Amino acid sequence: DDHKLSTSELEEKYGTSINKGLSSARAAEILARDGPNSLTPPKATPEIVKFLKQLVGGFSILLWIGAVFSWISFGIQLAQGAESAFDNLYLGVVLALVVILTGIFAYYQEAKSTNIMASFSKMIPQQALVIRDAEKKELPADQLVVGDIVEIKGGDRIPADIRLISTQGCKVDNSSLTGESEPQSRSCDFTHDNPLETRNIAFYSTTCVEGTATGIVINTGDRTIIGRIASLASGVGNEKTPIAIEIEHFVYLVAGVAISVGVLFFIISVSMRYKILDSIIFLIGIIVANVPEGLLATVTVSLSLTAKRMAKKNCLVKNLEAVETLGSTSIICSDKTGTLTQNRMTVAHLWFDNQIYSADTSEDQTTQPFDQSSPSWTALSKIVTLCNRAEFRPGQENLPIMKRIVVGDASETALLKFAEVILGDVMNIRAQNKKVAEIPFNSTNKFQLSIHETDDPNDKRFLLVMKGAPERILERCSTIMINGKEEPLDSEKAEAFQTAYMELGGMGERVLGFCHLYLPENEFPDTYPFDTDSMNFPTSNLCFVGLLSMIDPPRSTVPDAVSKCRSAGIKVIMVTGDHPITAKAIAKSVGIISATSETVEDIAKRLNIPVEQVNRREATAAVVNGMELKDMSLQQLDEILCNHSEIVFARTSPQQKLIIVEGCQRQGAVVAVTGDGVNDSPALKKADIGIAMGIAGSDAAKNAADMVLLDDNFASIVTGVEEGRLIFDNLKKTIAYTLTKNIAELCPFLIYIIASIPMPIGTITILFIDLGTDIIPSVALAYEKAESDIMNRRPRNKRKDRLVNEQLAVYSYLQIGIMQSVGAFVTYFTVYAEQGFLPSTLLGVRVNWENNAINDFEDSYGQEWTKYQRTYLQWTGYTAFFVSITIQQVADLIIRKTRRNSIFQQGLFRNKVIWVGIFSQIGIALILTYGLGHVTALNFTPLRFQYWFVAVPFAILIWVYDEVRKLFIRRYPGSWWDKNMYY
Amino acid sequence: MSKETKKPFRQSMAEWRQFIYNPSSGEFLGRTAKSWGLILLFYLVFYGFLAALFTFTMWVMLQTLSSDIPKYRDRISSPGLMISPKPDTALEFYFNKSDAQSYAEYVSTLRKFLESYDDSKQTQNINCTPGRIFDQNDVAVKKACRFNLSELGQCSGKEDKTFGYSKGTPCVLVKVNRIIGLKPEGEPHIKCTPKEEGTVEINYFPPEGLIDLMYFPYYGKSLHAHYLQPLVAIQLAINSNSTKEEVAIECKILGSPNLKNEDDRDKFLGRIAFKVQMTE
Repeated sequence: DDHKLSTSELEEKYGTSINKGLSSARAAEILARDGPNSLTPPKATPEIVKFLKQLVGGFSILLWIGAVFSWISFGIQLAQGAESAFDNLYLGVVLALVVILTGIFAYYQEAKSTNIMASFSKMIPQQALVIRDAEKKELPADQLVVGDIVEIKGGDRIPADIRLISTQGCKVDNSSLTGESEPQSRSCDFTHDNPLETRNIAFYSTTCVEGTATGIVINTGDRTIIGRIASLASGVGNEKTPIAIEIEHFVYLVAGVAISVGVLFFIISVSMRYKILDSIIFLIGIIVANVPEGLLATVTVSLSLTAKRMAKKNCLVKNLEAVETLGSTSIICSDKTGTLTQNRMTVAHLWFDNQIYSADTSEDQTTQPFDQSSPSWTALSKIVTLCNRAEFRPGQENLPIMKRIVVGDASETALLKFAEVILGDVMNIRAQNKKVAEIPFNSTNKFQLSIHETDDPNDKRFLLVMKGAPERILERCSTIMINGKEEPLDSEKAEAFQTAYMELGGMGERVLGFCHLYLPENEFPDTYPFDTDSMNFPTSNLCFVGLLSMIDPPRSTVPDAVSKCRSAGIKVIMVTGDHPITAKAIAKSVGIISATSETVEDIAKRLNIPVEQVNRREATAAVVNGMELKDMSLQQLDEILCNHSEIVFARTSPQQKLIIVEGCQRQGAVVAVTGDGVNDSPALKKADIGIAMGIAGSDAAKNAADMVLLDDNFASIVTGVEEGRLIFDNLKKTIAYTLTKNIAELCPFLIYIIASIPMPIGTITILFIDLGTDIIPSVALAYEKAESDIMNRRPRNKRKDRLVNEQLAVYSYLQIGIMQSVGAFVTYFTVYAEQGFLPSTLLGVRVNWENNAINDFEDSYGQEWTKYQRTYLQWTGYTAFFVSITIQQVADLIIRKTRRNSIFQQGLFRNKVIWVGIFSQIGIALILTYGLGHVTALNFTPLRFQYWFVAVPFAILIWVYDEVRKLFIRRYPGSWWDKNMYY
Repeated sequence: MSKETKKPFRQSMAEWRQFIYNPSSGEFLGRTAKSWGLILLFYLVFYGFLAALFTFTMWVMLQTLSSDIPKYRDRISSPGLMISPKPDTALEFYFNKSDAQSYAEYVSTLRKFLESYDDSKQTQNINCTPGRIFDQNDVAVKKACRFNLSELGQCSGKEDKTFGYSKGTPCVLVKVNRIIGLKPEGEPHIKCTPKEEGTVEINYFPPEGLIDLMYFPYYGKSLHAHYLQPLVAIQLAINSNSTKEEVAIECKILGSPNLKNEDDRDKFLGRIAFKVQMTE
């Protein structure tokens, strides 16, 4: 209620004095009570908790179980005194290490992307000019307390919520709070019951554009309006990102397979009279084989690669998972000011000689193309130039005009720049037309007037120029200039003026009228004393020259971006705090409301019937006012969101933005919200992906967002969508690639248990595939180019289009995976057969084979083997199996480049990183077999060279089979084959 | 704030039931009978093809192999040693010389093992020249050299049917693993040493534990069907003061430069260690 109190009441309430301020002691007391004047940062999760989460997330639990089982069996075996007990201890340690290392890796990746953002939240410590102990002091703004007297001037950020007690031409920019782009004047008068609307309060974190003011601090820190909005934002829970949901789904799926196969084979092995201990060891093997240990790390790397790529295109991603979210976005709720528009007033249209001219409103205009030959324009341009108080800050001559900083309000700035572009050096023109008197704009007159000497040395007349609200200007005119000639202003011409005025106003533009009068030389000689208070000069019967209208124009890249969003099936909704008319005009000009579509009101106007009679279904577009929204039920809102494809919400409050976002989410949409102001932050947080503006954005918005557009450009979002869709497709490929070989790792265990053959592949060897040879290739798939134009399809349905669907799992597991297993087993049997153990002798030998006491184990040729000789052969088998999987994974990698197109359409060599992957894969395998083949603990042995080629026919078969699959998918879309084979 | 409110239990049960069998669409586990039929047929054909392919490649691979000798023998370049009888539990002998039951298994194992060395089984075998490698590379039908059981002396089981176990002087046979084409150099012989000096006296049959070179090389099961590997019997006379304790004995093959007996990892390559504990 502080805005209603008088100054003395305020002094009393806060125990302060306007002249002396608080005493330092009292301030310290209040500071101790209220805390510093700063927003409490959102509660951060402790680092250790973040790290621990990485250690138990995803597959880690399964691996921990594996490790614990290993240690249990180690304990039991140790108690039994078995020699091989320590193998299990080591295995457990290795598994634990895998979990911890991948945990550290994921943590590091996350921390890295968080750090980028940390730099954003660092603010330059703000200073405030405070009166304390009757002295003016510079204090850090966070030391301010309630009751402090502060002084602000143009350019300052308001350091707290302040009740103004004296002002001189003070204007504040409230856009970060309300989204309104126009600066608002501030005075000491109580003008409105609502504290948000009243003139005598300035809010924390808004900026003072011009003028000076003094005020009493009435709220600090979290109790300020901004603070309350910020806490509204932190109250909004963080939703799981779509990709996180997908990955969770995938983890459940794989874990489900691992656990059910594990348990199934545990039961089988127990009922096959294996010892419980052995069965447990099998279970560990099955778990390790089933879990793609390296995959989550790979996904993280792929996401961060995309994040890097997006950062290069000015999309900075705060939360890695948000990289994909844009790709699945189906609705973008975009703020208007600054995102869709340039956030600066620009002259858009002119009206003179009974004609409307369009001006260029693009960002980097250097000339204006409209017809400037008419003498009326010469007159108009003179008024625009002279009747203007705005000035360029000095020292910017080398900057493009549009980028120069101007001192002055938004409209005058627009006019100044407009004049500078067309006429050149405005300051020089003004110097030549010396100003002799001036009445600045005020709200009672609604005009601005100045009187100048002319630059024509022969013309000794004074020129009076005036601009202001068009109807007020017209009232003061008796003539109108047409083609440079003054003609009487008759009703016909006044009608023409009205039409033009309405038309420009209807485009959401702010219109100004311009008129002039050459004062007769005889009445107003050189020495005439102009007095602006008594107005001893004519202010009526002037000559009307023209209209200029201004708007905050859309960015030139936006219309294209909006149409791209449309073809990508993304609905763009404008949500703004601005006026409905302006909002609608901008929406039309950027294509959010397309040229042909109509709102209910448009239809009513066209058919000339009341709005109520219009069939609401006919209207594709809707402009919803915040006031209407307030009275709407959730169902009504849902209906609007459902039935209209083109929607603009105007005059919305922060809470309403939140309601709109929630409404969209109720439709099952993945919602992206863009915004820059503090008022946007709750919606940014609520959205599936919040996008903040990097340049204009407030810190609160950036904190709440998942992504920051460094160039504030809506078009960058389209790039983000494209990258997001691509990474989703590529992650599918990565996962399909990785899952495949898990079957080739699992089958050996199952056949080992059932057929009692010597173990074909060791647990450690499996880890070398999962965390060694396979890593770089699966990351390489993230570099794959899109197969088709991903921007021409609809966003994925988050309920149906899963990352890992049935087809992907079945095709990878039951088809390619099985083929790989067959290939690997052929190699395995070949190695054993060529060393003397024919396949028939291997069946059922497990117990004797693994018996340490049997050292004369007979092979198919009558030779006798010691245990160690058998074990060494077994390791050779491991190596052969490993090499075969690696070779076939090369084929798997190549086929995974595409899901539908032929590899030859996609180009075998276009993605160079794939080849890096293939070479790394083979390189690592070579190092492991030949370089580390003598390290016993790793269970690798140098392998005869020809065994590398046993699986090659199977690798070729995999490739050919997949080409056939894709061919049928392309040939017979919608067929049984397509439905079952396309993943 | 969870976006999707949890479904009530009954509803999710109903959904599951719907998934398992959907009476309206006739879907069982999400597929109709026809769809299941098609998919099963597909996998039948697919796996049938893979099985055929596997069988074919295995057949091709087996065609490249000789039935006589394995393609590679590099994994067994040097033979391991093994003993008979081989106790079930590791390599530890426990018996009571006055309790026939306690060593009955050892005796029967030995007897069974020596059956193939019986004279009646060796009628086709020839007497070879002792001390020389018996090279038969050029001969199509490989002959086996005779190994006379009498070489094993008191451990042949002829005089003492219990192989000395009843007298407290148990016999253990040491054999060298068969490896195709192995030609030992020098004068290979078995040498056993107790871990602690003087706990046991060891007798060798044939004397000095000699392994005759004429039994080498071996030509493999199919070519050399009647081959008998040379044996060395050792008879242990355990000192009565150490009968209560285990006696650890290690046997090694010595005297041949190409037979390894000191491998770090393979504890049975050219050597074997076992324990004997005898009670009275």
